[in-house]
Amino acid sequence: MLNEERIKLMTKTAAYEENEGKKNMAIGSYFRSDYLELHVIQSLLYGTLAFLVVGAMVLYYRFETFLQDIYKMDLLQFGKDILRYYIIFLVVNAVISYIVYSVRYSRAKRSLKRYYNNLKKLSALYEREGKR
Amino acid sequence: MTTLLELRENLRNFYSKYEIYITPFLKFLLAVICLYAINLNLGYMSRLGNPVIVLVVALMCSFLPFNLIVIVSAMFVLAHLYALSLESAVVALALFLLLFLLYFRFVPKDTLVVLLLPLAFACRIPYLVVFAIGLVGTPVSVISVACGVIVYYLIDFIRTNASAISSLEADNAIGKFRFIIDGMLGNKPMLVMIVAFGITVLIVYLLRRLSVDYAWTIALVAGSVTNIVLLLVGDLMFDTKVSIAPVLFGTVISFLLCKVFQFFVFNVDYTRTEYVQFEDDEYYYYVKAVPKNSVPKQKKTVKKITSVIE
Repeated sequence: MLNEERIKLMTKTAAYEENEGKKNMAIGSYFRSDYLELHVIQSLLYGTLAFLVVGAMVLYYRFETFLQDIYKMDLLQFGKDILRYYIIFLVVNAVISYIVYSVRYSRAKRSLKRYYNNLKKLSALYEREGKR
Repeated sequence: MTTLLELRENLRNFYSKYEIYITPFLKFLLAVICLYAINLNLGYMSRLGNPVIVLVVALMCSFLPFNLIVIVSAMFVLAHLYALSLESAVVALALFLLLFLLYFRFVPKDTLVVLLLPLAFACRIPYLVVFAIGLVGTPVSVISVACGVIVYYLIDFIRTNASAISSLEADNAIGKFRFIIDGMLGNKPMLVMIVAFGITVLIVYLLRRLSVDYAWTIALVAGSVTNIVLLLVGDLMFDTKVSIAPVLFGTVISFLLCKVFQFFVFNVDYTRTEYVQFEDDEYYYYVKAVPKNSVPKQKKTVKKITSVIE
């Protein structure tokens, strides 16, 4: 016999699995710490790349003055300055991505919880039918 | 009004029935329009102007995710700029990279703004996209709008100064590079636009969330007024040479288009038809789940008409 209620639940869960569930399940397969770690490290890499792009642009823009001054300036201090900017930039970048991804993680978990509740209901329906 | 409502309902039914065909077609259309606009405005690489190339690429885009249209358009822009001068392509590439690395990595859904806003700028109605983002977006979308404005002004700057850029000597690479960067950094109209659009998006966003009747209309009206006032104030303060007539005209047109969109797009739930398959011990199920029309029941008002009959 076809059980209408069961089919509705199955359709709902299947549709979820096919659409937004896919992404959420991928997120849900991580522990929170692992997920955040992965994305913060990723954002550090991306941030480094962005810093390099900006740095290259600035350097090229000031190329002539830079070449003139290179013998006069304190290279150690110059390196320290760049390092400071780099670290500040990375920290800001990491904090932002930490916040963004922790919000995303808790949202995905909440949505998955609803999905698992539906699955539980489904299995309860099956059990009831089996006993009959 | 009834005919309009009926039309909307028919449109909705049509969409939920043929969604599989309509979405790719819309993607195709968007890709064709974008690539055509890019070729029209930046046609430095004549090979890309070939309609066959445009059609083939657009056809490819129609089957792939929306964001691919953005990437393909970016590549078209870069190719054209490369044909003009290497330096302009480098600057554009750096800008695109930074936008992706620092921002759109977090909000890939907003990427389309960077495509639509320059397109709307080309049609003289950037306000349309600004209002629409205020209506459907989040406060973070302010950054997306700023990115879109920057991309448009970079392309516009290079386009209007193309002859100056190519007339600089070929060995003066740094000179060309500095010319473009200086042009971008000192671009006051761009800064005014970014500030004005950002505030407009915020105002539209805040007002449409109010729980009062006609919140969306109020938001649109307030947004239009803010937009006009800010652009004119910006013009007075920084002498950005924004002329009043196009701003007024563009805002009014954007407002009207937004109202149309609100009626046909934003207020209607175009939930898609789902095709799912699953099985249990006894059956295979191939389910087509069509979303129900949930039209809120109209309140009935009883009018009493009494007349004294003598």
